[in-house]
Amino acid sequence: MNKNTQEIIYDKNGNAHSVVDFHNDYTGAKLGFWLFLFTELMLFGVLFLVFAFFFYQFSVDFVEASNTLHLSLGGINTFFLLISTYFMGIASLSLKENKIERSKRMIYVTIVLSIVFLVIKYFEWSAEIQNGIYPNSQILNEMAEGQIIFFGLYFVMTGFHGIHVIAGIGVMFWALKLINEKRISAKKSVVLENIALYWDLVHIVWVFLFPLFYMIAFGGV
Amino acid sequence: MNTDSNIHMTGIMYLKVFLALVVLTALTFLQPILISGSVADTVLMQMFIAILKTILIVSYYMHLKYESSLFKYIVILAMVTLSIFFIITSSDVIFRNESFDLFQIGG
Repeated sequence: MNKNTQEIIYDKNGNAHSVVDFHNDYTGAKLGFWLFLFTELMLFGVLFLVFAFFFYQFSVDFVEASNTLHLSLGGINTFFLLISTYFMGIASLSLKENKIERSKRMIYVTIVLSIVFLVIKYFEWSAEIQNGIYPNSQILNEMAEGQIIFFGLYFVMTGFHGIHVIAGIGVMFWALKLINEKRISAKKSVVLENIALYWDLVHIVWVFLFPLFYMIAFGGV
Repeated sequence: MNTDSNIHMTGIMYLKVFLALVVLTALTFLQPILISGSVADTVLMQMFIAILKTILIVSYYMHLKYESSLFKYIVILAMVTLSIFFIITSSDVIFRNESFDLFQIGG
C-alpha cells in the first residue's frame, strides 16, 4: 500500500472519517490479545485433558504420588500468585488514573512477588530432584505406571506454567520501559491492560494446577 | 462500542474481589478438613471452588463483566470449544470397552 494513500473509514451514518493512526486501536488491541489468550487456553486446556484422562485410569497412583508433593510450598506459592494479580490490577488501574509513579511501584511489587514464586518453585523442584524424582530417573522408572505419568505431567505442566511466569516478568519489565519512555500513558494504557490480562490467565492456570496436583492427596482420607 | 473497561473498576472493587479470592483459596485448603470425601468428591469440590475463583477473576480482574457483548461471546465460544474436547474424550474414557462400545477391539 502506498504510504501516502489516505485511508477513509465510514461510520454507521455514512459519514467519512480519515484514519489518522493505525496504532491506537484500543478495541482491536484488546480483541487481538483475547484471541492470543485463547491459544494459551487451548495449550493448557489440552494438558488438563491429558491429566484428566490418566487421572481417571490411575486415580490410586495419582493420589499416592500427590501425597509426596510439598503441599506447603505449593500452598505458599498459591498466595504469592494471588497477591501478585491484585497488584497487577492496581497497576493497570493506577495508570488509567494517571498515577504513573504508583503504577510503576505496583508493577515492581508484582515482579518481586513473581520472582519469589519462581524461587519457591526452584526449591520445590530441587527437593523432588534430590529425592531422585525427575523425568526418566531410575527411582521414578521403578514406580507404578500411574505415578510415572503423574510426575511426568507435574514437571511438564508446572514447568510450562513457570515459563509463563518468566515471560510475564519479562513483559512487565518491558512495560516499565515503555512507561519511562512515555509510550504507555493514561490515554494509551492498552499494553499494560493486556499484560494484566496475561497475568490473570497465568493465575487461572495455577488455580486449577494447584488442587489437581496437591489437593487430590486428601481424597479418600 | 465501549471497551474502556477500567472506568467501571475501582480500587475498592479490586480489594473486594481480592478478599473473596482469599476466602475461596482458604476454602481450597480447608475442604479436606471441612468435608472429607472420596477422590471423586474431593476433585469435584476442588474444581467447584476453582471454577468460582475463575469466574471472579475473568469477570472482574479481566473486566469481562464490563466488556461489550462481542468479548463475552468469544470467551463463551472458546470455553464451549474446550468443553467439547473434554466431553468427547470423557465419553471415550468412561465407556471404552463397555459391552455397547461399537469401537471395542475385537468387538
